[in-house]
Amino acid sequence: MEYAYVNARIRAMKSRLLDRALLEQLINKPDLDSLIAELEKTSYRGELEKAGILFSGINRIEVAIRKDLVRSFRTILNFIKGEDAETLITIILHRWDIQNIKTILRGKKIQASPTEIFECLIPAGELDEAALTELVKQPDVKAVIDLLATWGFVYSHPLTLHFKEFTETRDMMVLEYALDTFYYEDALSVIKSDESEDARILKRLIITEIDITNIKTILRVIRDRIDHEEARSYFIKGSTEFDIEKLTSLVRIGTIEGVLKKLEQTPYQFLTKVPPEYVAVEKISAFEKELENYLVKKAISQFLGDPLSIAIPIAYIWAKYTEVTNIRVIARCKASGMSEKDLREALISV
Amino acid sequence: MVDFGIPIGAGIAFGLGALGTGIAQSKIGAAGAGTIAEKPETFGLMIILVAIPETLVILGFVVAAMIMIMLV
Repeated sequence: MEYAYVNARIRAMKSRLLDRALLEQLINKPDLDSLIAELEKTSYRGELEKAGILFSGINRIEVAIRKDLVRSFRTILNFIKGEDAETLITIILHRWDIQNIKTILRGKKIQASPTEIFECLIPAGELDEAALTELVKQPDVKAVIDLLATWGFVYSHPLTLHFKEFTETRDMMVLEYALDTFYYEDALSVIKSDESEDARILKRLIITEIDITNIKTILRVIRDRIDHEEARSYFIKGSTEFDIEKLTSLVRIGTIEGVLKKLEQTPYQFLTKVPPEYVAVEKISAFEKELENYLVKKAISQFLGDPLSIAIPIAYIWAKYTEVTNIRVIARCKASGMSEKDLREALISV
Repeated sequence: MVDFGIPIGAGIAFGLGALGTGIAQSKIGAAGAGTIAEKPETFGLMIILVAIPETLVILGFVVAAMIMIMLV
């Protein structure tokens, strides 16, 4: 594919992303109104004005940034329509489908209202706003899965297969794990048949995601004292650094300190820098945050990769997602009156 | 007897320069069009950037002219 035109446009779009100084200004705003006023000076102005007709306060920001994110992703998809890269970019955008389906299923399990569930969704994948509106209206988990299957949506397969197990255990982990496994296996099978450099760039990123998911699983399994043989079934295959045997051997160590020591020889040695007090109380969220930051940094660093490859669209998608998440965090923290220290901790640092 | 080597040499000097310019301008032109689509204010800069590879074909022309003038 000829990337000169597409990547030049994406780089120009990147120049409109908020820089560190502007993010600092947003953090320092005392309330939501001044935050909106500051955001109106940025590329979010158009969406904020449209959202302002129907919404106010936090909802206005939420709707505006969500629409802006979706518009950006759709623009990228339009640039590469009909090209080989479309398949690869669609794989990345499916992450949001998976995330949305998980959110809807969790919401239906705890009987949250459709409005509450919809607020947490990001319609950036194949399931657009209309499809998600229809899904959140469904009365229960089974109805959501049935509707996805009726539409012939590819991610309904793992859900249909594991629904019986879910009804027996009522454990949402069963469906979430089935979705994750299906997503990564499907992504790797598509990439495997593609010999291009673009596919290799995406594969490296997908494998990092698999590693991160598996490391999170190891830490949770150790914290919850789950048997290592049972833990084997929770790991996602496909990583080159950590095969299932290596992952199981890490679980057998039995302590978080031990696992961190083993990880010192891997790219995930940064986990050893997590404060010892978190290690002592087995606060997994601190490790999860570090792992997520690592993934985001790795994805955004693709901007420094081959300028005429898929690296640039991938980096932009992640950079935009990070920006939107950070604005959302700032807005939520301002609305709930959280301290600046807590706010800074909740941000994704890049 | 006519020496065909000189005009062929001049032709190669000019032709390869022109080919290089064409390849470079196709890439820069595409990237420039993309940039202008997002940021119309960069139009002037893009015109300059697209024109820069012209130096290749101009150098090729100068070399070709030198071959023709000095050696014929």
